Amino acid sequence: MASTSRRSLEHSVAENVGDGDTVFLGGFGHAVPFALGHELIRAGKRELSVCRSGADILADQLIAAGCVSSVIFGWIGNPDVGIAHAFRRAIADGTVAWEEWTNWSMVLRLQAAAWGVPYLPAKVLLAGDGPGVIDGLQRVTCPYTGEELAAIPALEPDVALIHAQRADERGNVQMWGVIGDTVVGALASKRIVVSVEEIVADSVVDSSPNLTVIPAHRVTAVCEVPWGAYPSYVEGAYTRDDDHYIEYDRRSRTDEGVQEHLDRWVNVDRDTYLSMIDQRQLATA
Amino acid sequence: MTSVTHANDVEFTSSAAARMLRDGEACFVGIGTPSIAALTAKHVHAPELTLIYESGAYGTVPSRLPMSTGSPSVASGASCLGDCSLVFGDLQAGRIDVAILSAAQVDRFGNLNSTVIGPYRSPKVRLVGSGGAHDIASLVGRTLIVMPHDPRRFVERVDFVTAPGFEQTGDRPIGTRGRGPVAIITPRAVFGFPEGELHLEALQAGHDAVSATEGFGWEVPVANRVERIEPPTAEEMEIMARWTR
Repeated sequence: MASTSRRSLEHSVAENVGDGDTVFLGGFGHAVPFALGHELIRAGKRELSVCRSGADILADQLIAAGCVSSVIFGWIGNPDVGIAHAFRRAIADGTVAWEEWTNWSMVLRLQAAAWGVPYLPAKVLLAGDGPGVIDGLQRVTCPYTGEELAAIPALEPDVALIHAQRADERGNVQMWGVIGDTVVGALASKRIVVSVEEIVADSVVDSSPNLTVIPAHRVTAVCEVPWGAYPSYVEGAYTRDDDHYIEYDRRSRTDEGVQEHLDRWVNVDRDTYLSMIDQRQLATA
Repeated sequence: MTSVTHANDVEFTSSAAARMLRDGEACFVGIGTPSIAALTAKHVHAPELTLIYESGAYGTVPSRLPMSTGSPSVASGASCLGDCSLVFGDLQAGRIDVAILSAAQVDRFGNLNSTVIGPYRSPKVRLVGSGGAHDIASLVGRTLIVMPHDPRRFVERVDFVTAPGFEQTGDRPIGTRGRGPVAIITPRAVFGFPEGELHLEALQAGHDAVSATEGFGWEVPVANRVERIEPPTAEEMEIMARWTR
């Protein structure tokens, strides 16, 4: 974190996300960055391209709020509850473009960007109908073995929004539990904005450097946002509010319903938001 | 062996699928019935079975059924939490023996669809997409498919091949690595893929060749000798009840 440091949630988003940006959302079921994502909605961001492997209801909410012009994904839905209703309506209405990969090929796209190579060869997207609906997908012949492989192109998001357990004031980010594609997606991005449950002393981080998943020099902004991944969960802090996901499935079936959900859970200040969470029931720490 | 016949659909499916998993195998597991099948195998006859979820969890023995591959219960029961690259890298390197998948549609060649019902660009129903399903079906040693008996979901040709099975010629598609789909397990029957096409191979208790394929949109070939599947045992039922009752 070269010059910036600790920021408010509002500043982190205002200073680092522009209209038209390609935005990586972290969180593979675990530590989905709802607080940062909801701030995109409140700040009225527009024309975003949202990308990640398995996109859960946060992506659907950004679509419902009109922030998104395209989605680049491997999976999009409401985990074990159902489909992404706002996404479904948006593609039926032609208001959102989409580019559809698979979870592994999305990880490879981000990995290629994180490693600074234009593509990575892979043994997927060679069969089935998936390759045919990806514009411009190429194959390569391995110069050593002659094997034909898919050339999975690098995807370098403008900014990654992720949530983690903790960071220090310098910007070192520590995360544990399910990582999924969160770290590779962050490292692939030009800017990295992180919300954490807690900002801790440098000495805490230095006592367990193996837990640091993103070193400070890559991190653009850190903000402290307890419960910042609710209604998903954070290992060691709180568990997932499954009922919230089920309720979202019900409400998001109509435009009116999803707008009511956003009014209740997004267009509110942080204290009101926190007061609606059953913290006693969900806390695991 | 005490058998019971009052099992429900999920239990008939899960116990038959569980018996196809061998001790010591590494098994890529999806959410729902695939998880119940793998957990049943692990508790009944395959204690050294390694359950692997795409979120990066290895060795998972969750106390409650995970809602998603990134659920708290996947993480809390795991003995190794890597990331997606660990799991899919292992898969691509050919180190994962078997996977249990499900889908919205399956066809007579074992192709799976979880992408769209109807045309791709203007679908009747837009579904969730591949997730890891395409990657797993392309790369794993062999695939077991679990499905409810729902004729709308058994079709001659899926609307979209999300996860490749066999070509219409019976060949494995170029670019896929393992043996492909080896069985579809339903509450009524088990189907295999000799020469790459779905055949009725075994019947669950209470079913015959007619009810096993009732409503399917094509004439399903029947193996010369159709086996009878033992209903879930009392031990299997006791284990499955932890997640199904």
